[in-house]
Amino acid sequence: MLKNYKLETVYNGVHDITEQLIQAVEESGVQEGTCLVYNPHSTAGLAVFSPWDPDGFVDLDEEIRRLVPTRIDFKHQHDTPQDAAGHIKSALLGVSDGFIIHEGKPLIGGSQHLYFLEFDGPRKREFFIKIQPDV
Amino acid sequence: MSKYDNPMSRQVFSLPDLIETQYDDLEEKARLVLSFQEIFNIQRIVLTGCGDSYAASLAAKPIFEMLTGIPTEVVTAIDLSRYYCEKHMGVDCRNPLVIAVSNSGTGARVAEAVQRARLHGCYVLGVTGNEESPLGMHSDKILKLNIPEFEGAPGTRSYMVSVMSLLLLAIRFGEVRGRYTMDQAMDYRYDMRAQGEALRKLLPQMESTCEKAAEEWKDLPYYDFVGAGFDYAAAWFGWAKMLEATGKVAMHINSEEWFHLNFFARDAKNLGTVVVGNTTNPGLSRTKEMVHYANVLKRPLLVVTDGTKEDFNGEEGTYVQVPAPKYPLNMPLTQFAPVCLLAGYISEMIGEKYGRGCEGDWSFAEGGAGVKNSEIIVR
Repeated sequence: MLKNYKLETVYNGVHDITEQLIQAVEESGVQEGTCLVYNPHSTAGLAVFSPWDPDGFVDLDEEIRRLVPTRIDFKHQHDTPQDAAGHIKSALLGVSDGFIIHEGKPLIGGSQHLYFLEFDGPRKREFFIKIQPDV
Repeated sequence: MSKYDNPMSRQVFSLPDLIETQYDDLEEKARLVLSFQEIFNIQRIVLTGCGDSYAASLAAKPIFEMLTGIPTEVVTAIDLSRYYCEKHMGVDCRNPLVIAVSNSGTGARVAEAVQRARLHGCYVLGVTGNEESPLGMHSDKILKLNIPEFEGAPGTRSYMVSVMSLLLLAIRFGEVRGRYTMDQAMDYRYDMRAQGEALRKLLPQMESTCEKAAEEWKDLPYYDFVGAGFDYAAAWFGWAKMLEATGKVAMHINSEEWFHLNFFARDAKNLGTVVVGNTTNPGLSRTKEMVHYANVLKRPLLVVTDGTKEDFNGEEGTYVQVPAPKYPLNMPLTQFAPVCLLAGYISEMIGEKYGRGCEGDWSFAEGGAGVKNSEIIVR
């Protein structure tokens, strides 16, 4: 089963998509299997992160910016400096996350939520969830 | 097609295709002509040019400021080359950015202006179709225009392309400097390209209205072109086209100054008055007042607007509708079309040669000699 979800992001937005993941697995009826969440964009990423302290997102954002500052001397000049930085952030963080399905639910820890990270924005975005039962 | 069809009107009718093809040519060029570093380095912008290029600069100036937030001036070529204060050049690491517009690139004064600008430390972006021209050779970077050949007439196609190139630069500068998103920038650009189709739909109406107005106005001895702010460039351009195409006395002024100066003119009933007033212009209320008093003076009146007579309180006059873009910043791409039609039809009806045919006393201007052959002084 493949499901598609739409998002309208904000500038450098952090969007919790855990509910969509849980719902997609439940709707699939799959009890044991695997699931892949995929983001088809080149300036956005996916990450599993703790939801409990909102300042954690600020830390994450600051560390990402420290690793990949928005510079104006990128070689990629076709779009904008933010876009050029976004490509690198996306490549470093990755555009997909895999999960184990166990007893009809995604196996995620109590301090784990799945986040869609916007490195540009505001943009109209989407992501996919593919669910496969064990054979 | 009008029985008074002429090279200038044919240029106007070629504009819809030209808007689309030139957009396709210029979008990528305007995107890449300056690097991120160069765009972030801009502290001030000076737009310069002569004639139609000066009008294109007038049209683009408010758009540059609106989209980029960068202070932008329009400076005539002779002011930049002979009078512009040296202390204001070469500041903050190669500022201001001087954007010099000339399709031919051969005008002496623009060539002189960019040489002086560079001498005193400005950064020069030439917008020209001729890289080997004096403008091309004295520019740090060139946005290369490529306007397809067409039969000669007072510049109409080249004006649109100059305006488009400047608008694309303004959109790009604002995009790179993070004033809005890339999606928003692309929406501005898509709207720009869509003006070709919007103009195509309105041209039959424009043709019939302007032909009828030309019939009624062809024997008038004088013309007055009025517009404020965003619309002033089209009024200025209309004045220029009327002079070039018909040789008749014409004036241009903004709607406030009209109340201080031009309304004094006697023989009002023989003074054809063209008012450019788009409905999103912050100065529209003053333009509407001006239209009212032009009627009080019994002036023949033609209003170029994206709206209707109702937007001008039902004032009497001939109204020519121009496209209403999604974003008013794209208005200058098409709102000049009616003034070209009007000037071209009058010229055809009275049998006047464009530019007096560079014959007789006007022969010194043959081949653009009047603007090419001038002593260059750079200091």
